This record gives sequence, structure tokens and C-alpha cells, in this order.
Amino acid sequence: MPGDGNHTSGPTPSGPAADPGDELLAARAREGDEGAFETLVHRHGPALLKLAVRILGDTAEAEDAVQEAFVSAWRRLPEYRGEAAFRTWMYRIVTNRCLNQLRSRRPAADLDTVPEPAAPEHEASPARAAESTAAMKALGTALAELSPEQRACWVLRELHNQSYEEIAEAVGITHQAVRGRIFRARRHLTEAMGAWR
Amino acid sequence: MALNANPVPPDDDLPDTELLDCGRSLESVWAVHDAEGPPDPHLLRCPHCATALRELHALDDLVRQARSADEDTAAADPARLTARVMDIVRLELRPGRSLPLGEADEDLWIVEAAAAKSFRAAADAVPGVRAGSCQVLPLTPGAGRVRGPVTVRLEVAAALSWNLQDVAEAVRTAVTSAAVQALGLDVRAVDVAVIDILDDEDAPDGGDRG
Repeated sequence: MPGDGNHTSGPTPSGPAADPGDELLAARAREGDEGAFETLVHRHGPALLKLAVRILGDTAEAEDAVQEAFVSAWRRLPEYRGEAAFRTWMYRIVTNRCLNQLRSRRPAADLDTVPEPAAPEHEASPARAAESTAAMKALGTALAELSPEQRACWVLRELHNQSYEEIAEAVGITHQAVRGRIFRARRHLTEAMGAWR
Repeated sequence: MALNANPVPPDDDLPDTELLDCGRSLESVWAVHDAEGPPDPHLLRCPHCATALRELHALDDLVRQARSADEDTAAADPARLTARVMDIVRLELRPGRSLPLGEADEDLWIVEAAAAKSFRAAADAVPGVRAGSCQVLPLTPGAGRVRGPVTVRLEVAAALSWNLQDVAEAVRTAVTSAAVQALGLDVRAVDVAVIDILDDEDAPDGGDRG
């Protein structure tokens, strides 16, 4: 770094210290500190947005879902007692909201048995810039063919490193059901991608 | 394209017991891949298992691509999402109760959230301390919008190098001084609870990793 010539190997003074951890910030936000909440939104927004885009397959809808999830978290914070880590809590709220949104898209359909059609906006959306390669596009199509719960479980596991316990909590199903959804999702994806190649 | 011909997987709870031609279940082969099952020497020489693993490795490869594609898209504009959320949050603030400022015959008030913010900032200014919950309560319980002294209950995380009593005293001093000098709030008691420890980089003397 320029101008840093007199740097020694001794202890460096801690600069303006890092932002507090999630749980301290959540405690502040619970008591009405909107600045603390803003830091939390900034910290976790990007990952939650990625999650919602993958589950919903549409950037605009995903942004709405994540925005609503954060607003709902702000309203529910007074009752939040930190039983779950803030991040886990947000994953749960966002996943829930996305699944509800998918359910309301096709009110008459039986979600667990009817194929998820690749929604038209799926193709046109700017989110699909992420699928710049043909392989990513094919993966997106294969993901869209999964049931919403299968997709949510698989995305939480493979793209967000969530544990089975966390996924079970986020999706609201048992640990065993999570394993089943992920197995099915994987099998569909390996088959679809094998056929694609 | 052939893709849509793939039957959609049903959502029943149990993984099905699909068996490969060699008799191993697909599930057990994947479990080995996930390092969830014991190593299986059979996998090294069985062509059926090798095919199953190859398909899964191909999917792993796509997962890596998807992760990096997601990095690129979501990094696009986190500020916009934050701004959208905060626009709504600021219409729904929770300021808390009003607390009296200044002298007994004055009619100056501060909302609890604002007073708490000042006290957290004062505690944060103590090296190696980060404030969490801060409640500012009337000394006389149940006193509504009545002028009178208050008590502050503050939870902090402190660097491991702090002695508990010393850090509580340092925070108490910082909060009292903010109450007197910055706010003009009659704080009679400051309860400090150390609820967590901070990493050493926030330590009072700059850490010991130098």
C-alpha cells in the first residue's frame, strides 16, 4: 500500500471496529434501531436474493419476495427471541414466501404431482443472464421441472450449503422428507442433464 | 427437446430403492459420494456405480457453475434491495416511549430508541466492546409520560482480554457521560450485562496477533 512505509510488525491499532455480529444487530433492531436492521439487510440481502431467484426463476418476483420477507422480519422482530440465528430465521421467511408465491401461481393444481411448467418469464427474465451458457440454461429448465419443494430443498443444499436441519426448518417438512426431496431432485437433474448432453 | 419428456419426480418422503444393475442402491452410491456413508471398495471397480458417479460429478460441475453465475448476478446491486426495504421500514419505525430530558420544569423529551442508540454508540466507543440490547426505563415502574430519572439496561459483547468488572465499569462510565453531556437525561443506574465475547481483533490494545 502506498504511504505505508512505516508499518511495523507490532500490534496494529484496531481501526473503527467491524460491524457487530448478527445477534447483537438483531437485538438492536428488535428495539427499534433501524440502522442496525439496515446493516442486516445489506449483509444478508444478496444471498437471500440468489436463493429466491433460483426458487422462483424470476428476478423481479424474487426481489419482491425478499423485500417482503425483510419487511415482515422487521414487523416480527419484537417477538424474535433469537431461538434461531438471524440468518437461519431469514432463510426460513424467504423460503416460505417463495413457496407460497409458487403455490398461489397455480391455485388449482396439486403441487406435489403436477409438473412445474417452465414459466414463460423464466426464459425472458434478466435473471437468466446467469444462464449465459447452454448448460446453465438446461440446468435452469431442469430445475423448473421440479416441484417447488424439491427445488427449494435442492437449492438450499447445493447452492447455499444449508444443513438438513436448517432446510427442514426453512421448508417446514421433516428431516427425512428433506432427504427424499433432495434425492428426487438430484435424480431428475442427473437424468435431465445426461439427456441434454 | 427431450427434456420435457422426463417424468417429474414424485414428492414422497422416502428415497426410492432404485437398484443399479450391480445390486447397489443409487442412494448408497450417492451417500458415498457425499461422504455420508462408509467407503465402498466395490465402487472402484464396478462400471454401473462408476456411471452413476460420473453423472453425479457432471452435476457437481454444473452446481459449481451455477454458484459462480449466482455470485455475478446477485452481486449486481445489493444497495437497491436495501434501499427498497428501508423505504418501507422507515414508515414503520418503533420509537418506543418518551423519556424526559433536561430540567424538571422543561418540556423536552427523547424517544427510547434514540436514547438507546446514543448509549449503544457510547458503549461501542469503548475499545473491544460492542453493544446489543439497550433498554431505557423509567426508574419508577409504570410511570407513563412522567418526568423522572431513568435506568439503563445494556447488554454487550466484550473482547476476551477484558476483565468483566473492568469492562462493566468502563461501559457504565461511557453511558453515564453520554447521558449527562450529550443528552441531558437523568440516568440513575446503568446495568451492564456481558453476554458474549468478541474476537481478539477487537481487543482493547489492538489485539495480540501482531
